[in-house]
Amino acid sequence: MSGAVRRFDVAVIGGGSAGLAASITAARQGARTVLLERQGSAGGMGTAALVHSFCGLYLLRQEPGAVLANPGFCGEIERRMIEATGMGPQRFGRVDVLPQHPVEFARIADGMLAAESGLETRFHTVVTGVEREADGWRIDLADGGRMFCKALVDASGDAVVAGWLGGGFAVAPAAVLQRPAYVFGVRCGAVLDDAGRLRVSGLLVEGLRAGALPSAAMGLSFRASGRPGEVFGSVDLTGGVDGAEFDPLDPACLTALETTGRRVAHEAVRHLAERDPEWMGAYVSHWPARAGIRESRRWIGEHVLTGDEVTAGATFEDQIALATWPMEMRETARGPKLRFPVDDRPCGIPLRCLKPAGLERLWVAGRCISTDHEAQASTRVMGTCFATGEAAGREAAKVADA
Amino acid sequence: MASSKKLSPNPTELIDWMNGEGLLELDWDFPEDGDLFAAGLDSMAVMQLVVAVEDEYGVELTPEDLTKEALATPTTLAALIAGKMS
Repeated sequence: MSGAVRRFDVAVIGGGSAGLAASITAARQGARTVLLERQGSAGGMGTAALVHSFCGLYLLRQEPGAVLANPGFCGEIERRMIEATGMGPQRFGRVDVLPQHPVEFARIADGMLAAESGLETRFHTVVTGVEREADGWRIDLADGGRMFCKALVDASGDAVVAGWLGGGFAVAPAAVLQRPAYVFGVRCGAVLDDAGRLRVSGLLVEGLRAGALPSAAMGLSFRASGRPGEVFGSVDLTGGVDGAEFDPLDPACLTALETTGRRVAHEAVRHLAERDPEWMGAYVSHWPARAGIRESRRWIGEHVLTGDEVTAGATFEDQIALATWPMEMRETARGPKLRFPVDDRPCGIPLRCLKPAGLERLWVAGRCISTDHEAQASTRVMGTCFATGEAAGREAAKVADA
Repeated sequence: MASSKKLSPNPTELIDWMNGEGLLELDWDFPEDGDLFAAGLDSMAVMQLVVAVEDEYGVELTPEDLTKEALATPTTLAALIAGKMS
């Protein structure tokens, strides 16, 4: 459709968990909506990066049983995913998590997107810039095409709109940015119970000691996918390249992440296949389309949600969703450090966090909403991104309608 | 490495040492028979623990040593390390 000019009420940049919810919600409000996604499926980190848990769907609670924090879109996704995998929420320590399968997520997203008559989905669509116009936004596409919309939702994860406008965003110092994860699929008959996982840890350390594995293998962990014979591996990486600091917006840095992830995964799986009878014949069966980025640019909105507010479980008159995931710090590649709120309280996310300061007809959703570095460690998770996406879609549709 | 001079650790020292190494974040009053797995000792932390134990106590923990029972609590972990040092 190169060269054609298209007009929409709402355009959503990025079809990850936030953009999926935003576009479907906007279309349901009657807005003529377009979803623009660079990959070949929606789902973002949950499909392209193979992140296989929905975190942040449920309230923190002592009592057994998982309770949705944000019904609505989250409830729809939860129901469809449980139907697809046959697996309900699981409690790990103090948190409830819904295991999700990336293959099912992409298919579920296809179905939900196709069900909305007012919604056009455009995969393999790269946006190169936006320009503010009198009654909305002009969107420039890599194929030379242009679109116009009355209201724009930035669900890019990287706050790309702020990047193009040249301001209005913040990025944490490279030393504390949450480290990325490289997730891959493994075909393998091993039963990853407690004993199996401990044996894997022991064998990997042996390989590291012997110099047979790269040091980045220290960031490896494995988990059963829920399907027989399938395991997900995950490597937390430091993200630096040749001593330079981690920059999740730099293609050179991202290239190093992808190649390091593949190398560690390949060597570790081969190592285990040679040494653990249960891993005999195991192989890497599935690379992600991209490494999993946890944090990059954040918008500066009318309110900046802080780590202190998350800790206190703050409430706001204009809150549109609850953040319930503990602040999961991944500032090193040595595993998560969880910071829980007082009395397990959920924290309200005010609508003002979705409203970039001083910019009309623009909303933001997902991991790049307006928070500080600490609060983002809670709000970045997919369960919360669905909820902020839903709210952004609803608000954008109102503006477009006016 | 100064490992030969090290004494085998008691459980309380082990708790302080694991916190100091950043392996886990245990409360100051974490019990000697407290559940380390529930306190966050996941598979990645176990790898770090094995490397750190080798650096600190000069003891190589093998895959066979890494059982759920042996790593269960500061007390069992201290016994595991002491057993390997003797």
